[in-house]
Amino acid sequence: MISAAALTRRAAPVLACAALLAVWQIASLALKSDSFPTALEAIRTIPDILGDQESLINILASLRRMAIGFGIAVLVSIPLGLLMGRSRAVAAFFNPLLMVIYPVPKAALMPIIMLWLGVGDITKTLVIFLGVSLPVIYHSFEGAKAVEEKMLWSGAAMGLSPLQRLARIVLPAALPEILTGCRTGLVLALITMITSEMIARQSGAGNILFNALDMGQYDTVYAMIIIVGAMGICLDAAFERIRARLVRWSEPQFDMPLSFS
Amino acid sequence: MKVVPSRSSEWVRPVTSQRPASTIIEIDRVSQVFQTSARKDHLALSDISLTIEEGAFVSILGPSGCGKSTLLYIVGGFVSPTTGAAKMKGQAITGPGPDRGPVFQEFALFPWKTVLGNVMYGPRQQGVRANEAEVQSRALIEMVGLKGYENFYPKELSGGMKQRVALARTLAYHPEVLLMDEPFGALDAHTRTRLQNDLLNIWERDRKTVLFVTHSVDEAVFLSDKVVMMSKSPGRIREVIEIDLPRPRRRNELLLDPRYQKCVVDIERMFDESDKVGSPS
Repeated sequence: MISAAALTRRAAPVLACAALLAVWQIASLALKSDSFPTALEAIRTIPDILGDQESLINILASLRRMAIGFGIAVLVSIPLGLLMGRSRAVAAFFNPLLMVIYPVPKAALMPIIMLWLGVGDITKTLVIFLGVSLPVIYHSFEGAKAVEEKMLWSGAAMGLSPLQRLARIVLPAALPEILTGCRTGLVLALITMITSEMIARQSGAGNILFNALDMGQYDTVYAMIIIVGAMGICLDAAFERIRARLVRWSEPQFDMPLSFS
Repeated sequence: MKVVPSRSSEWVRPVTSQRPASTIIEIDRVSQVFQTSARKDHLALSDISLTIEEGAFVSILGPSGCGKSTLLYIVGGFVSPTTGAAKMKGQAITGPGPDRGPVFQEFALFPWKTVLGNVMYGPRQQGVRANEAEVQSRALIEMVGLKGYENFYPKELSGGMKQRVALARTLAYHPEVLLMDEPFGALDAHTRTRLQNDLLNIWERDRKTVLFVTHSVDEAVFLSDKVVMMSKSPGRIREVIEIDLPRPRRRNELLLDPRYQKCVVDIERMFDESDKVGSPS
């Protein structure tokens, strides 16, 4: 039997979504504007988009770039962040570089990257890579810094080499913090993905959205926003499941039904 | 009880001892300077010389800030002394190694590993086959009184249980010397007493060399063959005291033993005297 509290907790996000859609529906009916379709009209357009082969290819191409950009960023950023966290020399070298890059919106670099690499996949993937890297590096760095010295000493006494200590003590010990960074990185990957397609219009989910806007197909615009939003929520929820499994051993954390980064 | 001057090089074990007196650890005029701020240097250890015989239980006793843990870290190879050297079986200590197993006050368990995973970690690292390491580790877990907790994660254990795991984890890779850094300092009085008893029982079985850092006089006298008294600012050896109480020691017998009581009182008096001479702590 599910307790009343558990039921409320599970129903809460559904209710929140329903409330949002209701407000949208009412506002749209009240304003009667051509550029503001009702929630129902937008939702009705979703099957049309997902049923269209070309749209689907576009969306899948977006997801592919996002996956590659995110994957490479994680593979590069975690070791770099961990090294920075455990070596003062490495931190002293990379910290100023990262501090310069940090506040720059990665999409603002796109015009330059486009000049070098064109408007294709490489440019967009690179922008996603840049967007994901910083939070992952930062959290890996903080996580590695916080690893208890005595834990490393214990490993050293067992005969672990410095590299083994990094891979087999620092990495698992910092994993909760690293995964927090990856989760932020995942949301940023989605954001930079759409932004990159907005700037370099050629293919992708962002391209569908802005083409529809140009042609005044407002139903499609809103439907795409819902699709992209849903993608974000699903990716985040899936990642959260994986994260919770991987760091079950760490302290229990505050539990929210739907969480936002 | 005999009081032996710390600098005495011809320090002799009592005739009652049946173990051969072969030196395992030699600390030779070790000093340690820490830079506290840009210009100020803090002399944590000043000219420490000490030899430890194989199979002896030696406590380093002193007030906080006397550098007793630093001395242990130097023997562990975790910290390099500013001057002087520490030797293990005649070889200069240049880094940590499985011949010297630390047990820390902070437990320092691997939180992502279960109790069994923690204890197996050392043997696996030493190349022991998985099933063999598991059998040995399970036996050790039972020995420290944690049978049934093999699959628990450290966060699910109490402080006392964590320290039992830490002890088993270190014993698992068979170090020749146990380096215990205020291992029971973070535990409540009751748990502390129980762990002292259990440690003594375990130790009396195989008489591994133990270097045990503590600020508790009772604890040092109860456990040790030899107590190294340190004073602070700078950290120096004040006195080396032989604890000649019979073994196996039982807490309830020992607490009533006038010899034990005299040891504790004498040591406390010596600390009081040095407090009067030195600056107030």
